[in-house]
Formats: sequence, structure tokens, C-alpha cells
Amino acid sequence: MQAEVIDYIQFTTISPEMIRRMSVAKLIVPDTYNDDGYPIDGGLIDQRMGVVDPGLKCKTCGGRSKTCPGHFGHIEMVRPVVHPEFAKSIYFLLQNTCNDCHRVLLNDAELDRIRGEIRKFVEEDDSKEGQALAEHDSQKGFLIKKMKGMSKCPHCGAKQKKIKFERPTMFYAEGNRIKPDEIRDWLSKISGDDLGMLGIDSSVSRPEWFILTSILVPPVNVRPSITLETGERSEDDLTHKLVEILRINKKLEQDIDAGTPQIIIDDLWELLQYHVTTYFNNETPGVPVARHRSSRPLKTIAQRIKGKEGRLRYNLSGKRVNFSARTVISADASLTINHVGVPRRIAENLTIPLHVTVWNLDSMKKMLDSTEYPMVTNVLTKDGVRKRVTDITREELKNALEPGHVIERQLVDGDIVLFNRQPSLHKHSIMAHTVKVLPGKTMRLNNTATTPYNADFDGDEMNLHVPQSLEARAESRYLMQPKDILLSMKDGRPIMSSGEDELVGIFLLTRDGARFNKEEACIMLSSIGSDELPHPDKDGMYSGKLIFSRALPKDFDFEMKFQSGNVKIKNGELVEGTIDERLIGAKGGARMILSLFNRYGPDYIADLLLKINTLALRAAYMSGVTLSVKDYFNSPEMNKERGEIISNVEGKTAELFHKYKEGNFEALLGYTKRETLEVLTSVRLREARTMASGALNKLLDGTNNAYLMARVGARGNIMNFVQTSMFLGQQDVRGKRPSRGYFRRLLPYFRRGERNPRAKGFVISNYVSGMTVMDYCMHAMGSRDSAVSKALVTPKSGYMYRRLLNAMQDFYVDESLGTKDASGSLIQVMYGGDGIDPSKEKLMKLE
Amino acid sequence: MEKKLDLQSKNVNISPGEAVGVLAAESLGEPSTQMVLRAFHSAGIASAVVVTGLPRIEEIIDAKKKPKSPSMHIKLEKGVAGDYEKVREIRRKIEEVRVGSLLKGFSEDLKGGVMLLYLDKEKMAAYEVTQRSVVSRISKMERIEVSTEGDNTLKIKAIGAGKKRADMKEARTAFVNVRTAVVFGIKGIKKAIVQQTPDKKGYYIETSGSELEEVIKIEGVDKRHVYTNNIFEMLHVYGIEAARNLIANELNMTMANEGAGVSFRHISLVADAMTHKGIIMGVGRHGIAGSKESVLARAAFEETVKHFINASVFGERDMLKGVAENILIGKQVSVGTGTVRLSVRKEDLKKIKKA
Repeated sequence: MQAEVIDYIQFTTISPEMIRRMSVAKLIVPDTYNDDGYPIDGGLIDQRMGVVDPGLKCKTCGGRSKTCPGHFGHIEMVRPVVHPEFAKSIYFLLQNTCNDCHRVLLNDAELDRIRGEIRKFVEEDDSKEGQALAEHDSQKGFLIKKMKGMSKCPHCGAKQKKIKFERPTMFYAEGNRIKPDEIRDWLSKISGDDLGMLGIDSSVSRPEWFILTSILVPPVNVRPSITLETGERSEDDLTHKLVEILRINKKLEQDIDAGTPQIIIDDLWELLQYHVTTYFNNETPGVPVARHRSSRPLKTIAQRIKGKEGRLRYNLSGKRVNFSARTVISADASLTINHVGVPRRIAENLTIPLHVTVWNLDSMKKMLDSTEYPMVTNVLTKDGVRKRVTDITREELKNALEPGHVIERQLVDGDIVLFNRQPSLHKHSIMAHTVKVLPGKTMRLNNTATTPYNADFDGDEMNLHVPQSLEARAESRYLMQPKDILLSMKDGRPIMSSGEDELVGIFLLTRDGARFNKEEACIMLSSIGSDELPHPDKDGMYSGKLIFSRALPKDFDFEMKFQSGNVKIKNGELVEGTIDERLIGAKGGARMILSLFNRYGPDYIADLLLKINTLALRAAYMSGVTLSVKDYFNSPEMNKERGEIISNVEGKTAELFHKYKEGNFEALLGYTKRETLEVLTSVRLREARTMASGALNKLLDGTNNAYLMARVGARGNIMNFVQTSMFLGQQDVRGKRPSRGYFRRLLPYFRRGERNPRAKGFVISNYVSGMTVMDYCMHAMGSRDSAVSKALVTPKSGYMYRRLLNAMQDFYVDESLGTKDASGSLIQVMYGGDGIDPSKEKLMKLE
Repeated sequence: MEKKLDLQSKNVNISPGEAVGVLAAESLGEPSTQMVLRAFHSAGIASAVVVTGLPRIEEIIDAKKKPKSPSMHIKLEKGVAGDYEKVREIRRKIEEVRVGSLLKGFSEDLKGGVMLLYLDKEKMAAYEVTQRSVVSRISKMERIEVSTEGDNTLKIKAIGAGKKRADMKEARTAFVNVRTAVVFGIKGIKKAIVQQTPDKKGYYIETSGSELEEVIKIEGVDKRHVYTNNIFEMLHVYGIEAARNLIANELNMTMANEGAGVSFRHISLVADAMTHKGIIMGVGRHGIAGSKESVLARAAFEETVKHFINASVFGERDMLKGVAENILIGKQVSVGTGTVRLSVRKEDLKKIKKA
């Protein structure tokens, strides 16, 4: 319920009169509590400003600590001080107004011109004059230059003194200090019309208010004191600062009354200025930081507001919520991508509000009867009073139940909830899932649905939110379910697709010559709920392709041509080819899934993905997939290849060097000869790994399980294999061969100027047989480099993301498919040039 | 057929209200996490060193005035492109040649304010520069006197301020100026390379260093097909639309090089956001994010205190139209399903008033 709508927020400076009007208490005592532990009247915890201790009553509104909103107090300054944050604006005004007649240093012609422009602006935009004035400051730079050139006032002809500003709050006119009261005098004499010429709307902000004659003191609940276990009270940083201000203020008053010498008074005045400065911003440049007794810098007003942990970004842009849960996640291959397994204990705690109407009154009453798990926990009456349902209150509440009431029911199967894993980098980090209440203490998630969240099950925790309003639930259901946003906004590819075990399984199932007996076929088919056994081949066996086809819709046609062979599905039968990563995995964009999605729509896809994956996993169990060290032991042929490749590469580099030495060596364009040698050498060395992977492809086949996994794209790649059983290859530091270390050598084990590539990070040993000390060192250098650069990229790209998001977060597409920003200005006439949804661009190409 | 196409295209249209800015930011931000930080990456072997990856993306998005590795791709007019000799001649006009790179060596006497330059004939021939052109170039410089000291040797005398003899400091700066003076070509183009087009039918020129305004003045250069990666030069010479296309193209290429296939729609949105006001704005606090209308949105991004203070001095008003402001005050945001508002026809409104 929205009681009142904020139309706009007007920012102004606050006048001393306003401060006094807002204030409920003039504070005079620079202390907090008296000896009895009772707040001192006129002190900083004055009870007129509200109360934080339970049991006490606010002297202004009579509210208790929970109901009293807090009231402002104020301090009257004996001598005015500069508000440090406005010092720059003060400087601007002092510079650009006459020091005698206090008019703007612009001649009448210029002023008329500006007036005309403002009038024009107001007429054209029918906005308020105040806004026009603010808008006008765009050409301030130009005017300032003009005003700076003025040595004489164009109005009264007085010679202008040069104003100097010394951070943070001191002003000098030709070497003589202008004291705050003099500044205040000066500023108050600038006419409203003249201020308008400088872009300042004098109806909301007068410059003399930049000099403080009274300070607004925030209510106590803004700066609550805390009581330690010892019974000792500890005051908030702001209170500490205010005590200081009051104390110096009082001292100053006494000294002035006593007729103390001017120097001492000026010193005190300056001290007061210091305290006020740090009260507003304890990070003001040029001012020593005010510290707590424990030498911790005080967190004053500016520090509370700004930055990541400040009020704005921490409390206002990010809000805390109820109706949420968080726990460890684990895998459940029997759930669809649309489901989330919710532990019973969580389901019992989370509730969904249901509105009681004439039509559902009876069923609601029945729901109230339940005394165990799916039960009603609270009843909200018409006037919004929440009543807990207990064994004692149940009957009473049931009888009182009437249309207009709201009941809160525990979470049950089929409810829609939002599921999230941090960091929430894109829209797929929060998706709506259907609840499936399960035993256990973890939230369950299908493997396939981990990709968008970037989750794994090594201890990851995820958050669950229960949308409470009907609108929220409807939006979740229609816009946020994984099946509906299967296609990525980034490039239109499916973000969820099979991976790992499923890919091995699907390969074993659909490869040419995969055959299963009747029992196996039955097990597999029953796992996807298919109760029809297809006709077997002549020998009574079932081909994997045949079994796989049972998962497909009967009228599905699909054809894809690859270099390695074609894949053809006709009438829901896989006629030719093997289903692989390119068709259902992330690589190549899950073409078959894309096609299925396009043809049968989101409602079908979740079940279909589950079927395909279940079948694939079943096939993997049937065939048996494992991995052992044996897979990485080299055959004699592999060892031979390995030796050949290494000597080949080393030979090539030696040859290069020889040529270079001889002089019949041509430099590449844009490089010196020496650089060319280095470039060519490292190209040759890097080729070694490619050669090795070629050799592996030649020597290994599907009987090697590690190789099988790498080839079908389940886990690891050929490079990993090369590094485990052939050699590690060239190690890189900053994209080059490592070059720093001892004089003319990397490690003391080498001769100076050693040309052998092994002395410069070419590692010929592998993980299985182990590395030599030198090789290990090279490898460590490479690893450190990549670890460091990874650590540098993350915050950098994170900041870039934040900037992009902040710049573009208001953009939306309007009815005519143009792009607009918050102020309504057109960014693009047609979104993206063609108004096409990026997540659907791939669908278009399919047709 | 036409009808079917129309239907299909309507189905793939973006939904009105969609928060496309957020989508674009997400789509670009997410892959950038996986990008390499390495600034220098030798693209191939032959061409110059190029900044790629995250640093390049940042460079574009921040609207940096000078890219770290400016370069140009210069196509030539039809009659010229196929002729290797002519292309070489154009290349010669483009690449800068500094005095220092024509020398065998030099000797300087800082006290005496005299420097001897020993010109290298071979090098001069390679750059196709004559001794006379060198002399005429140097003689144009201030506070310098040139005289020919026999073949291949030039004598440079430095003149101090007020026609006095140069002191050591003056002499030194004068001599350095002479050695780095550009004798020929376009200043700022460090290297120009003639390359064969992929179809082997003609040639084009690639440069390291960019000076669009000068290059298109050279005869034989196809003014419509000169490419630079310096966005501000493009803005200066060809205007804002060209700059927008360049931003989009450069972003697209950099992303594609990193293997992050991001839909062009996102990239074009960023480019349009950066240029829609007719000037190039970066996305940071000095650009788009800093020039937003809303005080709260700006304050929530960066420099919180500054924005609040200025807002109060100038009496700004936050109309609460954007996303950030509405989150702050706890209202529904103005994008996506939040754009849907109740509207009443004017006629109906009159009826209500009458009733």
C-alpha cells in the first residue's frame, strides 16, 4: 500500500531560521548524561530529541523508543563558521561579485542576455524558473572566464581585490583574512537577481546560509549510544563531535564575555571551525583527521553517507528482505531445470499470503484446520493485524475468518520462488523456480541449471525468496522461469545445456554401433517414462540411436552438416550421426536444443532436457565410464612422438638462432632483428603443444577414457592431456617467455646466455612423470603470472561493469521500439537498429 | 512469404519496456570478467602491436582522448591500389621520418653549442630523402643555424635566447629537437606498412600512429575507406555518426577477438548512449553516469557529497524518473513491467468530470 507518492525531491540549503524552527531543543551543555546516568536537559541526549533507551518517553511526542521518529535539536554558534562543504561555492561567489557593491561582475548587456536566455528556456520547457537557473550553469565556465578578467566592477567601478582561498575554510582578500562574519555580510548583500545570473535560485538557497550561525543536531536515534556489558556507556562518533563543538562554543562565549585578548578568541574560533569541519566531513583535505581515543578515525556525516558502505549504496540501494532462505545447494538429476528442491524445514518457515474471498472461504477454512506441515501460520485481519495460528487460537480464527482477511500458508510443492546465487552478474542470476519440497537440509538444483548461476556443489550456498504479492508472483511465473529465459540475452544461445557426464553418456548412447540388449533398453526407456518398447533389430538388440529417439517428439526434423559427418533426425528418429557437444552442449551453441526450443516452445523444453539428460546418464551407467591413472600412462609410441616433437622444436629454434648469427636473417616488418628472433622462437616453441595434441589425436581413441572425455567435451581438453602425459610446453610470463632472474640467466642452474629453450621456460617434463626442479620453477612462474593477472582483472572488470550499468540502467524500449532514457531523451530510434530481441536473433536465422 | 517474414519478425521483436540498458551492461560486463588484462598482444606476426582485451574496451568506453595504440588502415583509390610502386610512394608520404633515423651518428659539443650530423646515405635512400630536403627542413626550425660541412655532414649551431650564444641547457634541447624533427611524412605516424589485400589484387597501407586529417589529404588515398581506431579523430574529421559507428565497430571487434560473441545490439546501444548528445561521453563519472538529470542517481554512483552539495546550492530538483532514484525511495522502478501505467482517454476524463 502506497499511502503517499513522492512527486519530486527539492534540494535546498537550510537557513538558520529554518534550523531554529525545526529544532525542538537548543543545546547548551556539552555533555551527555549526569552522574545518575540520566540524560542532561540541554545536553546532547536531551529527551526532547527523542529517546533510545526503552522505558523512557520522548518529551516532544510522548512516543517510546520504537514509536518516536526523533526530533532535531540545534546549537547556536557564538561566532559564525564556514560550512566546509560549501567553501568552494563561497569562493566562487566571492570571486565573482564586487567587493564593494556586491553585484555580479558582469556588465548590464551581458546580464540582459542571460536573463533573456533564461526566459526563453522557461517558455520553451514550461519548467520552473529554479530549474532553468540550474540548467543555465552549463555555460558557467565561459562566464567565469569573463568575470575573472574584471579588475573593476562594471557597476560601481570599485577596484577588485584578488580573493585567495586556502583549504579548507580560509579566505583572504589581498593577503588580509576575511573572517566568516565578514563573508556572511558580503554574501547576504548579493541580490537574488544577481544570484540568478550565477545559476543560484535564491528562493531556495541563499549564500549567507553557507556560513553557519546555528547547527542542526540530529536526533538521538541517528546517533544512539550503546551500553557495554560493563555498564559503561559508549557514545556515537557524531555525539562525540557535537560535544566538542558545544564545548568550544561555550568556552568561546565565556572568553568573549570575559574580554579575553583577540588572539585567544581567534584561536578558539579557529578550533571551533576545525570541529565543525570534521563534524561534516572527517576526510576534508588539508585538515588533520579527528580521531577517537583508540586512534580510530571518527566516522562523521560525510562518511556515513558516501561510499560502498555508506547510507546510499549500502542501506538505500540495497535493502534487506523477509521471506527468504539461504543454505547449501546440492545436485538432483531428477528435477527439471525449472524446479528447486526446498528442504522441509525451510518450507515450514516460509509463507505465502492468500487472500480470503467469498469464493474460497470454505477451502481456506479447511486449510486452517490442518495441524501439521502444509498449514496456515498467520491470519491477517482486515485492519492489518497479524495473528499467529496456534492450537489455542485456531478455532477462534477459523470462525472469525471472512472475505478480506489474508492467511499465510506454508510453502508447498508448485509454489513459485526466486532462486539466486551471488554474485548476481546478469539476469539469469535470479530466476523463478517451482518448489519441490524434499527431505534433507540442502536446496536441490538440477545440474543443467547451474550454468546460469555459475554454481557448483562444493559448498556453494544460494538464496531463495518467496514473492509475496500477486503481481510479483505473476511476473516471476511468466517472465523469470528458466524455461522461458533459456536463450541468453547476450547472444541468443541456450544458456542451459547438457554437460560433463551427460555428454559422455549421449556419445556412448548414440555413437555408431552402440547396441543394448532388451534389459538395458527397458531400464533406459523406463527412466524417461517411455512405456513403449520399440522393435528391436534383427539380432534382438536395440541400437542406441533408436533408444535416444524415444526422448524426441514424434514430428521433429533436424539436420546439421559437419565436417566429421552429418546428423539427421527425421520424424523424431535419429537416422544418422552422433549427438554431441555441438548439438546439446554449450560448444557450438546447443543447436539441437535451440531448434527444439524454437519448435516446441518453453513449456516443453524443461521436460525434454530432463529426458535427454536422464537418458544420457543412464547410458553412461550402462556402459560404464571411469578414469584412472592408467589412462595417462604413455605407450611406447607416445613416448617416441614426444621425443620427436621436442627434438624437432628444439632443432627449429637452434636453426633460427644459427641463421640469426650468420646474418642471413630478415627482420619482420616493424620489428628489429633481435625481436624477430624472439618472436619466431616463441612461435616455434608454442607450436610444440599443438603438435603434441595432434599426435595424441592420432594415437588415442575412445578406449582411453580421459581422452574420450576430452573429445566429447565432458571434462578437460586435449591440452590438459598433453600437459599430463606429454610435456608442459612453453611457460609464459606476461605473454612472453620468462626473462627475469639472475644476470643473463633465469636460474643459477643454467649457463649465462644459454640458448637452449629449456633455460627460458620450455618445460619438457609432464605431470605424470614429474618435473625437474628447474621445470617446476618455470611452471611456478607461469602459474604465478596467471594467478596475479586473474586477481587484477576481477576488480577492474567489476568496476567497468558497475560504470556501464550505472550509465545505462534507465534505458528502456518504448512503444515504438525506440530506446529512451529516464529523462525521455531518445537514445536509439529503433532499438539495436532493428528492434530485434537479442535473445531471439538466433531463432530468426533458424527459420 | 512476405507475410510469414513479417510475422516472424514481429515474434522476435523486443518487448516494449524491456530494460535494454541493463541487459547491455550485463552482456558486456559478464564476458569482460574472463578477458585478459594483458595490454599488449601481438596480433599475428607482421602487423604492429595492438592493445586488445579489457584495456582496449576500457579505453573505448571511457572515451580516452588518445588510444594507447593508434593505428590506421588505409585503402587506396582504384587506379592506385593495384600498383605496388605507387602505393609505396604513398606510404613514403605517410610514414614519418625523423632526422635521427637518417644518421650514421652525430657528435655534439654542448659547451660550444655545435652539433655535427653524419648522414647515412643508405638510410636516406631507403627513406627516399635527400640531403637538401633535410637541410631545408632543419633550417625552418627556430634558434638553429644549419650549414653543410661537405658531403653527408651537417653542422648545427644552436642560438640562445636573445641571439646570444646558447648555454648548455639550451643547446641540448635544441639538438634533441633537431634530431627528432620530422623530415618527411606525417608527424605522428610511426610506421606505415604496405600490405597485400586478401584477394591479392591490390595493396593497402597499415600504420601505427593515426593522423586521419592529414592522411586523407594525400592524393591516391581513398577518402571513404580510411579507417582509424582513434575515435576522436573520426569525430573531428567525419562527425558524430562516424564516431558512433567506429565505437560500435571497435567494441565489436575487440569483443569478438576475445571470443566473446556479444550481440551487436548491445554494443550499438553503448555506442549510441555515448554519442546521442552529439558529443562523445565516456560511461564513467565524467560522462554519461555523471551527467544524469537525477541528483540521487549521480550521488548513488560516485562523489556522493559533491553532488548533494551542488544540488542544494543550485536548488536542484530530482524528478525521480530513473531506476536508481526509485530504488532509493522504495518505489517501483520505471523500466520493464514498471513502465505500465494507467492511462485514461481525454474524452472519458471529461465524462467523469461531468458526472
